[in-house]
Amino acid sequence: MTRFHRLFSALCWACALLPGAVMLLLIGFLLRQGWGSLDLHLLFGDTPPLDALFRFVPVWDGIWPACFGTLCVVVLAGVISIPLGILCGIHLSEFAQGRFRDILSFCVDLLAGMPSILMGLFGFALILFLRHTLLPDVGTGLLLSGFCLGLLVLPYMVNATYTSLSSLPQDLRLLGPSLGLNHMQSIRHILLPSAGKGIVSGLVLSLGRAAEDTAVIMLTGAVANAGMPRSLFDKYEALPFYIYTTAAEYQTPEDLNRGFGAALVLLVMTTGLFLAAHLLHQAMERRWRRG
Amino acid sequence: MMTENVTQLNKSNIIKTIGSMLCLCLLGMIVCSTALAGGLDAFAGKKGTIAIAGGTAHIPVMKKAARAIMTANPDIRITVAGGGSGVGIQKVGEGLVDIGNSGRKASDAEVARYGLVMFPFAIDGVATVIHAKNPVDSLTAAQVRDIFAGRITNWKDVGGPDAAINLYSRDESSGTRAVYWKKLLKKGPIAVSANIVPSNGAMKSAVSRDLHGIGYVSIGHLDKTVKAPKLEGVAVNQQTAMDGTYPVVRKLYMNTKGRPTGLVKAFVDYVTGPDCVEIITASGFIPIQ
Amino acid sequence: MSAGSHISSPIPARIVIAVSAWISAAVVLSIFLFLAWFCRPLLDTTVLSSLLSWDWRPFQGDFGILSMLTGSLLLASSSMLLAFPVGMGICCFVHGVGPPGPARLVLWTIKLMTSVPTVVYGFVAVFVLVPLLRDVFREGSGFSLLAAILGLAVLVLPTVVLMLHSQFLTIEPQVRLTAAALGMAPSQKLLHLVIPASGRGFLAAAILGLGRALGDTMIPLMLAGNAAQLPGSVFDSIRTMTAHIALVVATDSRSLAYLSLFACGLLLFMTTALINLGLRMLAGNRENGS
Repeated sequence: MTRFHRLFSALCWACALLPGAVMLLLIGFLLRQGWGSLDLHLLFGDTPPLDALFRFVPVWDGIWPACFGTLCVVVLAGVISIPLGILCGIHLSEFAQGRFRDILSFCVDLLAGMPSILMGLFGFALILFLRHTLLPDVGTGLLLSGFCLGLLVLPYMVNATYTSLSSLPQDLRLLGPSLGLNHMQSIRHILLPSAGKGIVSGLVLSLGRAAEDTAVIMLTGAVANAGMPRSLFDKYEALPFYIYTTAAEYQTPEDLNRGFGAALVLLVMTTGLFLAAHLLHQAMERRWRRG
Repeated sequence: MMTENVTQLNKSNIIKTIGSMLCLCLLGMIVCSTALAGGLDAFAGKKGTIAIAGGTAHIPVMKKAARAIMTANPDIRITVAGGGSGVGIQKVGEGLVDIGNSGRKASDAEVARYGLVMFPFAIDGVATVIHAKNPVDSLTAAQVRDIFAGRITNWKDVGGPDAAINLYSRDESSGTRAVYWKKLLKKGPIAVSANIVPSNGAMKSAVSRDLHGIGYVSIGHLDKTVKAPKLEGVAVNQQTAMDGTYPVVRKLYMNTKGRPTGLVKAFVDYVTGPDCVEIITASGFIPIQ
Repeated sequence: MSAGSHISSPIPARIVIAVSAWISAAVVLSIFLFLAWFCRPLLDTTVLSSLLSWDWRPFQGDFGILSMLTGSLLLASSSMLLAFPVGMGICCFVHGVGPPGPARLVLWTIKLMTSVPTVVYGFVAVFVLVPLLRDVFREGSGFSLLAAILGLAVLVLPTVVLMLHSQFLTIEPQVRLTAAALGMAPSQKLLHLVIPASGRGFLAAAILGLGRALGDTMIPLMLAGNAAQLPGSVFDSIRTMTAHIALVVATDSRSLAYLSLFACGLLLFMTTALINLGLRMLAGNRENGS
């Protein structure tokens, strides 16, 4: 081995240490700063947790409203994008042909590459437009954010479905026709169940993406102080937005500690979703490797 | 003898003090409870949502008022967002929020265009702030102007350590910036190299973390984590802002599109009324009452 | 299997699927049309020329967004210049330079990094990276181009590594026998066979990473300082187009500040579309080539 190759190997080793170092620093710092504040008080402040959970008693100095707001927008985004994404993915993988297929896949790619702040700007412009035309009383809020986040993660869902379906082995595709099923039936009874775990894994990942996005919600209805939302048109608090505002404007050490707590909670949430997706994906791969 | 007398005197003094303190406390509590109950009565039985946005100096008052109201009546929801005075005026004008706060008077054009009604509720000043450990104690108005214009770039030129000055400013929507620019900088230039932060709160925490930083912030946001150097020898606090010796003062406004009604009116009345005086004072502002 | 009960209804299901695909395409197109419609006032040449200038000083009536455009391009390209070589190193490590155990661990860490919220990276950087830069270099406030470059490089690193990784996966089997026949060490194989053969894949990874870096909002908003100026050094504060949109929440449709948002949006969108077309052409060429 020449010196050049040895140098190259050394550089590769150095690079390979970086991601681990960054992650250790990130998690270590958050744990050191935020571990102490991780308790029910972080979530609910001085309000009794059960009252806050079931009687919607307002919570002060706690991040529960932000958690609940994030939960709401993620569910809304899922409701909008999951059915549309799966069906669109099936179409792309099984039916679409020719020019329409090209247009559709280009649209999906374009949407996937679109910066999330643009989606936020779209939502913001949409509400201004609606106010000037059809619905003079609407404002920014949960529904708008959910809608925009749903559109933001739609391409991920389409791609997850598409990839899972098209990566199925060829003999499985022949199984349906050989049993006398038509195309639709074989999708319904053979292909979708087989690709199910891969699809679900993609969906879970996309929901994680919806939960962490900040740029969309800051233009479409997330605010710093809102309490619990009561309707779909209410403004709301959300974890990523809470973390962003705390980083800039914490006033007291307690505020800052809550910020660290919130960052930990969000991190655990998204990495949890990621791990779930990872396990599902592995389960699917194992299945087809064995088969 | 003497000592005994003294101790007795002390004792009676102490008893007196404790007694009077207790009385004051009791009185205070009674006043508070009646005042609170009285002021919050207007919200009894009401339901609905008030959306507030705009001026960031107002946020502590808005949050505390919202907390008092929502604690008394959980059926009411009050959402508070920032954005700056310009955003507050535009948003209330477009009807996107119910109350748009501003730390400056809405311009005649804005009032005419949107049909705004202004409700001033507090007097506030805008203070120059530096890091708490910065040895500079006093600045002249000319020095401040030169610093923000980028003509003075080192702290040693104004009696500080030999270190570059880090400028912090606000976005154009800010009423705090507008007032500071007009009344202290005399509409002089602000260097484009200044870091831009989005709110009074962010300004305070940015400067409190930067040993060589300088910025400007609402007097209500001053605390021990930052230092407000004297301006032309005048200390910066509520007192000097109120008696006019500190010149960079302004009013804090709530703006509504047209005369407010219902819940919004109740809120505006509450904040401008006698029951909010305590909240406004505790937030570091001078109530207009 | 209950297939019999479904024989009568394959067509409606198929229609539902086709319709939802159409809806998705229509929604995407309508987003673009909508943004384009809101950009109409930009067609006015006086508006356009005042927006396409260098100074952003709203009090003096200057609403130029070119310094934001420069800021975006500068930040994205510098962070890619940093992330790409590092990503390449990591990828080579995973594909033979490093032992299999650590290689798997590194790849897994990279995948885990994709799940960290951007705002959490920003949050930690505000309290770790920014004070560090301020104390080490003693130049400026720490909120600077450099802070944003470092933050953004960390953010796009997984994108780059995973793209390169999949490229290596397709090239490696093709050269495995050659390398074995020549008795090459893993690093020799990578340097002399795999890397020269995957030029297009590198370009695709670089373009994709650049798109991701250009489009990110939170890192520049939280770390770059947001001064609308041309930076003189990496310690200066800059503003990107994405941060500009987030910062200037103007709703007054007649103001130039409001139009500047849509001008930034349009520029961002056009770069995204160009990047997509570029990637598509690369992929198309590859299919034709093979």
